[in-house]
Amino acid sequence: MEVEPQICCAQFFQPDQSAICTSLRAMSAAEFDLENPTEEHRMLRAMVRDFAKTVVEPQADEHDRSGTLNVELLRRLGELGLLGVTVPAEDGGAGMDALAAVLVHHELSKADPGFCLAYLAHAMLFVNNLYYAANAEQRQKYLPKVLTGEHVGAMGMTEPSSGTDVLGMRTVARREGNHFVLKGHKALITNAVDAHVFLVYAKVDDKITTFVLERTMPGLSTDGPTKKMGMRASTMGEVIFDNVIVPEENVLGQVGGGIRNMMRNLEIERLTLAAMSLGIADRCMEIMTTYASERQSFGKPISEHGQIQRYIGESYAKTEAARALIYSVARKTGPTFRNRLGTDASKLFAAPVGKEVADNAMQVLGGWGYCDEYKVERFLRDAKLLEIGGGTLESHQKNITKELMRSGAA
Amino acid sequence: MKILVPLKRVADPDNANKVKIPASGATIETTGLEWKPNPFDEYALEAALRLTEDGKAPKVRAGEVVVVTFGPKETETTLRAALATGADRAIRVDAADDKLDGHLVARALKALVEREKPDLVLMGKQAVDGDSNQVGQILAEQLDYPMATFAATMKEEAGGLLVGREVDGGVITLRVKFPAVVTVDLRIVAPTSVYSMKTAPAFKYNDGVRFAALPAIMAAKKKPLAEVKLADLAADQGLRVTYHGFQAPPARKAGIKVKDVTDLVNRLKNEAKAL
Repeated sequence: MEVEPQICCAQFFQPDQSAICTSLRAMSAAEFDLENPTEEHRMLRAMVRDFAKTVVEPQADEHDRSGTLNVELLRRLGELGLLGVTVPAEDGGAGMDALAAVLVHHELSKADPGFCLAYLAHAMLFVNNLYYAANAEQRQKYLPKVLTGEHVGAMGMTEPSSGTDVLGMRTVARREGNHFVLKGHKALITNAVDAHVFLVYAKVDDKITTFVLERTMPGLSTDGPTKKMGMRASTMGEVIFDNVIVPEENVLGQVGGGIRNMMRNLEIERLTLAAMSLGIADRCMEIMTTYASERQSFGKPISEHGQIQRYIGESYAKTEAARALIYSVARKTGPTFRNRLGTDASKLFAAPVGKEVADNAMQVLGGWGYCDEYKVERFLRDAKLLEIGGGTLESHQKNITKELMRSGAA
Repeated sequence: MKILVPLKRVADPDNANKVKIPASGATIETTGLEWKPNPFDEYALEAALRLTEDGKAPKVRAGEVVVVTFGPKETETTLRAALATGADRAIRVDAADDKLDGHLVARALKALVEREKPDLVLMGKQAVDGDSNQVGQILAEQLDYPMATFAATMKEEAGGLLVGREVDGGVITLRVKFPAVVTVDLRIVAPTSVYSMKTAPAFKYNDGVRFAALPAIMAAKKKPLAEVKLADLAADQGLRVTYHGFQAPPARKAGIKVKDVTDLVNRLKNEAKAL
């Protein structure tokens, strides 16, 4: 976006603030790159954008139709080092920050949000969560195969009758000597059908605890795939624990430390989900503006009709607002500096923007938008999930209010 | 094996800011352009990386790839991207874009080759901006090295390469001894186009040029990037090519619909005079 130099800051600032005025003028659009704070971020974005366009995009429709995860493609992401984007370099990852994770999800979702969701479940919900909760032995045992994608990971929190009300979970782990016995049932779990390893939350004496489980453990089974409206390039299913014997060394962190792990990871999870909505909005903006400039009605391009301009203008403004919010929050989120408010706000704002912009694109394209050729129907179906998964809009409203009340009271 | 890969940045044709020519026609307006590496040079880099690794996973480097570009400071972005893709070292020859022509670049590269002593200079057959297709050929002549142009396949053998070159009706295979200059065509990045002596004959690469893996992106900043003055490489900076003016290609005229085959043949004969 260009900053028009003829707009003088003096219009907005008092004359005695001319020093600020000069420095603001010096900081041109080219110098301040909100989305790419460093050259590494810029190169990473160029690589993922190129990969998304040439490798991810061509397979997206096929996997949307078949409702299957492209496991080989997930392994290509492993070759590119994207499965451990936030894992420090000494442990085999890339050692990058939350903003890098955001930009990968942003760019992948421009091509295939369904596949990106599977990537998120693997790289954020399993890998990032495991890394920060695990001890050295656990990292050594589980990281190498999930960093290459040889093993697919999934995370189990939601249950058939507890979603937002996470403390209401009924999966329990009972201690018996040097192991635990897990009993319960997780539902709506992304990657459940394909996963080899699972990060699971269960209650030990009513205290939520994180476990890492393997598909080969007797008593663990999965069901599905669960059929769904969108995000069909990732699978979803149930995970059933029928007295699964789990060695005590598979507890991640402390017994009872599950909530801490969960809350820490939920921040990057919400932010990357918000980035997926932004990717959907960006792609749908591109589709609708191209179409509006080419399609004629009543003797002129439809972009000259006021009703179409409203769809385009409002979509653009909201997309840019989502971008500004997500990337500024990403600069202030990390394992050592929490940002609950910012990450909740990002997803609360961006998820409806993704859905609305996809819907607007469909309206601009009319009948052609409803058909699958122009892809917006796929993006619209995918966009809805982000108002529900990884925190419903209502949970973000609740969290934000709770956090503000708490800080107000302090 | 040590390979020198000259790279050039070109205006990105996919970018919204297209190349513009001012009314005077005296120059090409480069302000606001977005740049990307010349695709044929990217193919040369990919081929160079394939020749200097063992083809296994994880890949092990078995040689050195040095990339070089000519241009102002900001062309280092192109070099950093090449380092992130896998090149080991980079050199920027400090020069102004409009003070270069193919002959001067070849003369400066000759001096650089004499310094670096690579076994092979591997480069794109041409840059997609000027489409001159001459630097590789002039360089080989200046160095008095064996040369193979438009390589579609390369197979390393002791002390040299077998280079496949597609021509009308078939493929010519050339044997070049090191040190040599080879320019590449687009098929050099097909899955089975390049084999080093260490790569298993059954190994297949991913089609096309590789993506810069994230750990390599993180490592790119730590790889050496040296600056050399053009004057240190070429005492005579005179240009052999002078540009007299630039003109955008004429806008394409609208097509016509023909009634039937007879109409088509008539028009091809009488209007287009193609038959």
